[in-house]
Amino acid sequence: MKDGCQKWKDQLLEAALTGARSKDLELHLLNCKGCAAELRELEAVRARQDSLLPLLVRGAQPSPGFRARVLAAAETNKEHKRAPRWRVWALVGAVATAATVFVLQRAMLRNEEAKDLAAAQKLAEWRAPSDSLLKTPGEEILKTTPKLGESYLPVPVSKVEEE
Amino acid sequence: MSALIAKAEAGHPAEGFGERIAENQRRVFQIALSVLGNAADAEDVAQEAFLRAYQRFDSLREPEKFRAWVNRIVFRLALNRKRGYCRRLARDTAWQSAETATMVDGAKSAEQQVMLGRLRLEIEQLPEKLRSVLLLSLVEEMDATDVGAVLGIPAGTVRSRLHTARKRLLEVMR
Repeated sequence: MKDGCQKWKDQLLEAALTGARSKDLELHLLNCKGCAAELRELEAVRARQDSLLPLLVRGAQPSPGFRARVLAAAETNKEHKRAPRWRVWALVGAVATAATVFVLQRAMLRNEEAKDLAAAQKLAEWRAPSDSLLKTPGEEILKTTPKLGESYLPVPVSKVEEE
Repeated sequence: MSALIAKAEAGHPAEGFGERIAENQRRVFQIALSVLGNAADAEDVAQEAFLRAYQRFDSLREPEKFRAWVNRIVFRLALNRKRGYCRRLARDTAWQSAETATMVDGAKSAEQQVMLGRLRLEIEQLPEKLRSVLLLSLVEEMDATDVGAVLGIPAGTVRSRLHTARKRLLEVMR
Protein backbone atom coordinates (compact mmCIF):
# COMPACT_ATOMS: atom_id res chain seq x y z
CA MET A 1 0.00 0.00 0.00
CA LYS A 2 1.31 3.43 -0.91
CA ASP A 3 1.71 6.16 1.70
CA GLY A 4 -0.92 8.20 -0.06
CA CYS A 5 -3.40 5.35 0.29
CA GLN A 6 -3.35 5.32 4.12
CA LYS A 7 -6.70 7.12 4.16
CA TRP A 8 -8.27 4.03 2.53
CA LYS A 9 -7.02 1.70 5.24
CA ASP A 10 -10.18 1.76 7.35
CA GLN A 11 -12.46 1.37 4.35
CA LEU A 12 -10.41 -1.59 3.15
CA LEU A 13 -10.77 -3.29 6.54
CA GLU A 14 -14.53 -2.65 6.52
CA ALA A 15 -14.80 -3.95 2.96
CA ALA A 16 -12.87 -7.10 3.87
CA LEU A 17 -15.06 -7.71 6.91
CA THR A 18 -18.50 -6.88 5.57
CA GLY A 19 -18.02 -7.10 1.81
CA ALA A 20 -19.62 -3.67 1.41
CA ARG A 21 -17.66 -1.17 -0.73
CA SER A 22 -18.42 2.49 -1.25
CA LYS A 23 -18.38 3.89 -4.78
CA ASP A 24 -15.32 5.95 -3.95
CA LEU A 25 -13.46 2.85 -2.84
CA GLU A 26 -14.55 0.92 -5.95
CA LEU A 27 -13.20 3.73 -8.11
CA HIS A 28 -9.95 3.85 -6.15
CA LEU A 29 -9.47 0.09 -6.41
CA LEU A 30 -9.79 0.29 -10.19
CA ASN A 31 -6.89 2.75 -10.32
CA CYS A 32 -4.71 1.43 -7.45
CA LYS A 33 -3.23 -2.02 -7.81
CA GLY A 34 -1.63 -1.80 -4.35
CA CYS A 35 -4.94 -1.26 -2.56
CA ALA A 36 -6.66 -3.94 -4.67
CA ALA A 37 -3.94 -6.41 -3.62
CA GLU A 38 -4.25 -5.26 -0.01
CA LEU A 39 -8.00 -5.89 -0.09
CA ARG A 40 -7.49 -9.37 -1.55
CA GLU A 41 -5.00 -10.15 1.22
CA LEU A 42 -7.34 -8.84 3.91
CA GLU A 43 -10.20 -10.91 2.53
CA ALA A 44 -8.00 -14.01 2.60
CA VAL A 45 -7.01 -13.35 6.23
CA ARG A 46 -10.64 -12.81 7.16
CA ALA A 47 -11.66 -16.08 5.54
CA ARG A 48 -8.85 -17.88 7.41
CA GLN A 49 -9.97 -16.29 10.69
CA ASP A 50 -13.58 -17.26 9.97
CA SER A 51 -12.53 -20.88 9.74
CA LEU A 52 -10.09 -20.80 12.68
CA LEU A 53 -12.00 -18.80 15.27
CA PRO A 54 -14.74 -21.38 15.87
CA LEU A 55 -12.07 -24.02 16.44
CA LEU A 56 -10.91 -22.23 19.58
CA VAL A 57 -14.06 -23.20 21.44
CA ARG A 58 -16.68 -24.87 19.29
CA GLY A 59 -16.87 -28.61 19.40
CA ALA A 60 -15.12 -28.67 22.74
CA GLN A 61 -16.89 -30.51 25.53
CA PRO A 62 -16.08 -31.68 29.02
CA SER A 63 -14.49 -35.06 29.49
CA PRO A 64 -16.76 -38.14 29.74
CA GLY A 65 -18.26 -38.61 33.18
CA PHE A 66 -18.37 -34.90 33.90
CA ARG A 67 -22.04 -34.97 34.85
CA ALA A 68 -21.56 -37.92 37.19
CA ARG A 69 -18.61 -36.21 38.85
CA VAL A 70 -20.58 -33.00 39.41
CA LEU A 71 -23.51 -34.94 40.89
CA ALA A 72 -21.17 -36.89 43.17
CA ALA A 73 -19.48 -33.68 44.31
CA ALA A 74 -22.89 -32.08 44.94
CA GLU A 75 -23.96 -35.05 47.06
CA THR A 76 -20.70 -34.96 49.01
CA ASN A 77 -21.13 -31.24 49.66
CA LYS A 78 -24.68 -31.85 50.82
CA GLU A 79 -23.52 -34.55 53.26
CA HIS A 80 -20.84 -32.25 54.60
CA LYS A 81 -23.41 -29.53 55.11
CA ARG A 82 -25.83 -31.80 56.92
CA ALA A 83 -23.53 -32.72 59.76
CA PRO A 84 -25.12 -35.02 62.41
CA ARG A 85 -26.66 -33.26 65.42
CA TRP A 86 -24.28 -34.86 67.88
CA ARG A 87 -21.41 -33.31 65.96
CA VAL A 88 -23.02 -29.89 66.23
CA TRP A 89 -23.61 -30.33 69.96
CA ALA A 90 -20.07 -31.64 70.45
CA LEU A 91 -18.79 -28.56 68.67
CA VAL A 92 -20.94 -26.29 70.82
CA GLY A 93 -19.71 -28.09 73.97
CA ALA A 94 -16.09 -27.80 72.91
CA VAL A 95 -16.49 -24.09 72.21
CA ALA A 96 -18.22 -23.52 75.58
CA THR A 97 -15.48 -25.44 77.43
CA ALA A 98 -12.78 -23.51 75.67
CA ALA A 99 -14.52 -20.23 76.52
CA THR A 100 -14.86 -21.22 80.21
CA VAL A 101 -11.22 -22.27 80.44
CA PHE A 102 -10.21 -19.01 78.83
CA VAL A 103 -12.29 -16.90 81.26
CA LEU A 104 -10.97 -18.83 84.29
CA GLN A 105 -7.42 -18.48 83.11
CA ARG A 106 -7.90 -14.75 82.65
CA ALA A 107 -9.36 -14.44 86.18
CA MET A 108 -6.46 -16.41 87.68
CA LEU A 109 -3.98 -14.35 85.75
CA ARG A 110 -5.57 -11.15 87.07
CA ASN A 111 -5.44 -12.47 90.63
CA GLU A 112 -1.76 -13.30 90.21
CA GLU A 113 -1.10 -9.86 88.83
CA ALA A 114 -2.85 -8.20 91.80
CA LYS A 115 -0.75 -10.29 94.20
CA ASP A 116 2.44 -9.39 92.38
CA LEU A 117 1.52 -5.72 92.47
CA ALA A 118 0.87 -5.76 96.22
CA ALA A 119 4.19 -7.52 96.81
CA ALA A 120 5.99 -5.01 94.64
CA GLN A 121 4.41 -2.11 96.52
CA LYS A 122 5.40 -3.67 99.85
CA LEU A 123 8.91 -4.12 98.59
CA ALA A 124 9.09 -0.51 97.48
CA GLU A 125 8.03 0.70 100.90
CA TRP A 126 10.38 -1.62 102.80
CA ARG A 127 13.31 -0.10 104.61
CA ALA A 128 16.22 -2.08 105.93
CA PRO A 129 16.66 -1.97 109.75
CA SER A 130 20.24 -0.79 109.27
CA ASP A 131 18.90 2.43 107.71
CA SER A 132 18.06 3.86 111.16
CA LEU A 133 21.39 2.73 112.57
CA LEU A 134 23.23 4.45 109.79
CA LYS A 135 21.68 7.77 110.71
CA THR A 136 24.35 10.06 112.18
CA PRO A 137 23.79 12.70 114.86
CA GLY A 138 25.20 15.18 112.38
CA GLU A 139 22.05 14.90 110.27
CA GLU A 140 19.89 16.45 112.96
CA ILE A 141 22.41 19.16 113.59
CA LEU A 142 22.65 20.02 109.93
CA LYS A 143 18.89 20.46 109.77
CA THR A 144 18.99 23.53 111.96
CA THR A 145 20.89 26.52 110.84
CA PRO A 146 23.03 28.00 113.60
CA LYS A 147 22.42 31.63 114.38
CA LEU A 148 25.13 34.16 113.92
CA GLY A 149 27.83 33.66 116.44
CA GLU A 150 26.55 30.25 117.43
CA SER A 151 28.34 27.12 116.93
CA TYR A 152 26.99 24.00 115.36
CA LEU A 153 27.73 22.28 118.56
CA PRO A 154 26.14 23.79 121.65
CA VAL A 155 28.94 24.28 124.07
CA PRO A 156 27.76 24.21 127.69
CA VAL A 157 28.97 27.22 129.55
CA SER A 158 29.87 26.56 133.12
CA LYS A 159 28.51 28.93 135.73
CA VAL A 160 31.90 29.09 137.46
CA GLU A 161 33.52 30.57 134.44
CA GLU A 162 30.83 33.24 134.20
CA GLU A 163 31.37 34.29 137.73
CA MET B 1 -48.88 -35.76 36.80
CA SER B 2 -46.35 -32.97 36.18
CA ALA B 3 -47.12 -31.68 39.64
CA LEU B 4 -46.31 -35.09 41.05
CA ILE B 5 -43.03 -35.15 39.15
CA ALA B 6 -42.16 -31.68 40.41
CA LYS B 7 -42.99 -32.79 43.94
CA ALA B 8 -40.82 -35.87 43.57
CA GLU B 9 -37.95 -33.75 42.23
CA ALA B 10 -38.36 -31.34 45.11
CA GLY B 11 -37.81 -34.26 47.45
CA HIS B 12 -34.77 -35.41 45.48
CA PRO B 13 -33.23 -32.27 43.96
CA ALA B 14 -30.39 -34.24 42.36
CA GLU B 15 -32.72 -35.79 39.79
CA GLY B 16 -33.78 -32.52 38.20
CA PHE B 17 -30.29 -31.18 38.65
CA GLY B 18 -28.74 -33.98 36.62
CA GLU B 19 -31.01 -33.06 33.75
CA ARG B 20 -29.93 -29.42 33.94
CA ILE B 21 -26.28 -30.44 33.86
CA ALA B 22 -26.87 -32.52 30.75
CA GLU B 23 -28.59 -29.60 29.02
CA ASN B 24 -25.97 -27.00 29.92
CA GLN B 25 -22.62 -28.72 30.41
CA ARG B 26 -21.31 -28.27 26.88
CA ARG B 27 -22.03 -24.56 26.72
CA VAL B 28 -20.86 -23.92 30.30
CA PHE B 29 -17.61 -25.74 29.59
CA GLN B 30 -17.10 -23.76 26.38
CA ILE B 31 -17.63 -20.43 28.18
CA ALA B 32 -14.97 -21.38 30.73
CA LEU B 33 -12.69 -22.63 27.97
CA SER B 34 -13.08 -19.42 25.96
CA VAL B 35 -11.82 -17.40 28.93
CA LEU B 36 -9.18 -19.78 30.32
CA GLY B 37 -7.87 -21.42 27.18
CA ASN B 38 -7.21 -24.84 28.69
CA ALA B 39 -9.51 -27.78 29.21
CA ALA B 40 -8.43 -28.83 32.71
CA ASP B 41 -9.10 -25.43 34.28
CA ALA B 42 -12.27 -25.01 32.22
CA GLU B 43 -13.69 -28.27 33.52
CA ASP B 44 -12.78 -27.36 37.07
CA VAL B 45 -14.53 -24.01 36.79
CA ALA B 46 -17.55 -25.54 35.05
CA GLN B 47 -17.90 -28.02 37.93
CA GLU B 48 -17.66 -25.21 40.48
CA ALA B 49 -20.37 -23.27 38.63
CA PHE B 50 -22.71 -26.27 38.69
CA LEU B 51 -22.04 -26.86 42.38
CA ARG B 52 -22.98 -23.27 43.11
CA ALA B 53 -26.10 -23.70 41.02
CA TYR B 54 -26.92 -26.80 43.06
CA GLN B 55 -26.88 -24.78 46.26
CA ARG B 56 -29.46 -22.43 44.76
CA PHE B 57 -31.33 -25.05 42.82
CA ASP B 58 -34.62 -24.37 44.57
CA SER B 59 -34.77 -20.93 42.96
CA LEU B 60 -33.30 -22.09 39.62
CA ARG B 61 -35.70 -24.86 38.67
CA GLU B 62 -36.89 -23.10 35.50
CA PRO B 63 -34.57 -24.14 32.63
CA GLU B 64 -34.23 -20.60 31.24
CA LYS B 65 -33.43 -19.15 34.62
CA PHE B 66 -30.89 -21.90 35.26
CA ARG B 67 -29.28 -21.37 31.86
CA ALA B 68 -28.89 -17.60 32.28
CA TRP B 69 -27.64 -17.92 35.85
CA VAL B 70 -25.09 -20.63 35.16
CA ASN B 71 -23.81 -18.76 32.06
CA ARG B 72 -23.12 -15.69 34.16
CA ILE B 73 -21.59 -17.51 37.11
CA VAL B 74 -19.22 -19.65 35.01
CA PHE B 75 -18.00 -16.57 33.16
CA ARG B 76 -17.30 -14.73 36.44
CA LEU B 77 -15.60 -17.77 37.98
CA ALA B 78 -13.44 -18.22 34.89
CA LEU B 79 -12.43 -14.55 34.90
CA ASN B 80 -11.54 -14.75 38.60
CA ARG B 81 -9.44 -17.83 38.05
CA LYS B 82 -7.72 -16.26 35.08
CA ARG B 83 -6.84 -13.17 37.10
CA GLY B 84 -5.53 -15.38 39.88
CA TYR B 85 -3.29 -17.38 37.59
CA CYS B 86 -2.45 -14.55 35.24
CA ARG B 87 1.27 -14.70 35.90
CA ARG B 88 1.39 -18.46 35.49
CA LEU B 89 -0.65 -18.31 32.30
CA ALA B 90 1.65 -15.69 30.83
CA ARG B 91 4.66 -17.89 31.61
CA ASP B 92 3.05 -20.96 30.09
CA THR B 93 1.61 -19.29 27.01
CA ALA B 94 3.31 -21.65 24.60
CA TRP B 95 2.05 -24.73 26.41
CA GLN B 96 -1.40 -23.23 26.82
CA SER B 97 -1.88 -22.36 23.18
CA ALA B 98 -0.52 -25.70 22.04
CA GLU B 99 -2.90 -27.52 24.37
CA THR B 100 -5.87 -25.50 23.15
CA ALA B 101 -5.15 -26.45 19.59
CA THR B 102 -4.70 -30.15 20.22
CA MET B 103 -7.54 -30.34 22.67
CA VAL B 104 -10.17 -29.13 20.19
CA ASP B 105 -9.17 -31.50 17.44
CA GLY B 106 -6.13 -33.72 17.64
CA ALA B 107 -6.09 -34.27 13.87
CA LYS B 108 -5.39 -30.65 12.96
CA SER B 109 -2.38 -29.85 10.84
CA ALA B 110 0.70 -28.29 12.38
CA GLU B 111 0.14 -25.11 10.40
CA GLN B 112 -3.38 -24.82 11.70
CA GLN B 113 -2.15 -25.31 15.25
CA VAL B 114 0.38 -22.54 14.81
CA MET B 115 -2.32 -20.28 13.40
CA LEU B 116 -4.65 -21.09 16.28
CA GLY B 117 -1.90 -20.32 18.76
CA ARG B 118 -1.22 -16.99 17.12
CA LEU B 119 -4.92 -16.21 16.94
CA ARG B 120 -5.34 -16.80 20.66
CA LEU B 121 -2.32 -14.64 21.43
CA GLU B 122 -3.74 -11.81 19.33
CA ILE B 123 -7.12 -12.18 21.04
CA GLU B 124 -5.37 -11.94 24.40
CA GLN B 125 -3.95 -8.58 23.31
CA LEU B 126 -7.41 -7.13 22.67
CA PRO B 127 -8.97 -4.86 25.30
CA GLU B 128 -11.02 -6.86 27.80
CA LYS B 129 -14.38 -5.48 26.60
CA LEU B 130 -13.72 -6.60 23.04
CA ARG B 131 -12.08 -9.87 24.03
CA SER B 132 -14.98 -10.97 26.25
CA VAL B 133 -17.52 -10.31 23.51
CA LEU B 134 -15.46 -12.08 20.86
CA LEU B 135 -14.79 -15.18 22.98
CA LEU B 136 -18.35 -15.53 24.24
CA SER B 137 -19.67 -15.14 20.70
CA LEU B 138 -17.62 -18.18 19.70
CA VAL B 139 -19.48 -20.41 22.15
CA GLU B 140 -22.16 -22.64 20.66
CA GLU B 141 -25.77 -21.67 21.30
CA MET B 142 -24.76 -18.17 22.36
CA ASP B 143 -26.32 -15.35 20.32
CA ALA B 144 -25.83 -11.61 20.89
CA THR B 145 -28.66 -11.55 23.45
CA ASP B 146 -27.10 -14.37 25.49
CA VAL B 147 -23.67 -12.75 25.37
CA GLY B 148 -25.23 -9.44 26.40
CA ALA B 149 -27.00 -11.13 29.31
CA VAL B 150 -23.69 -12.54 30.57
CA LEU B 151 -21.87 -9.23 30.25
CA GLY B 152 -24.77 -7.01 31.26
CA ILE B 153 -24.85 -5.06 27.99
CA PRO B 154 -27.47 -4.72 25.21
CA ALA B 155 -27.35 -7.02 22.19
CA GLY B 156 -26.62 -4.02 19.92
CA THR B 157 -23.50 -3.21 21.93
CA VAL B 158 -22.43 -6.85 21.64
CA ARG B 159 -22.67 -6.69 17.84
CA SER B 160 -20.82 -3.38 17.67
CA ARG B 161 -17.99 -4.62 19.93
CA LEU B 162 -17.78 -7.87 18.00
CA HIS B 163 -17.33 -5.95 14.75
CA THR B 164 -14.60 -3.77 16.32
CA ALA B 165 -12.87 -6.84 17.71
CA ARG B 166 -12.88 -8.59 14.33
CA LYS B 167 -11.58 -5.46 12.65
CA ARG B 168 -8.67 -5.15 15.07
CA LEU B 169 -7.89 -8.83 14.71
CA LEU B 170 -7.87 -8.49 10.95
CA GLU B 171 -5.57 -5.51 11.13
CA VAL B 172 -2.98 -7.17 13.35
CA MET B 173 -2.99 -10.52 11.55
CA ARG B 174 -2.84 -9.42 7.94
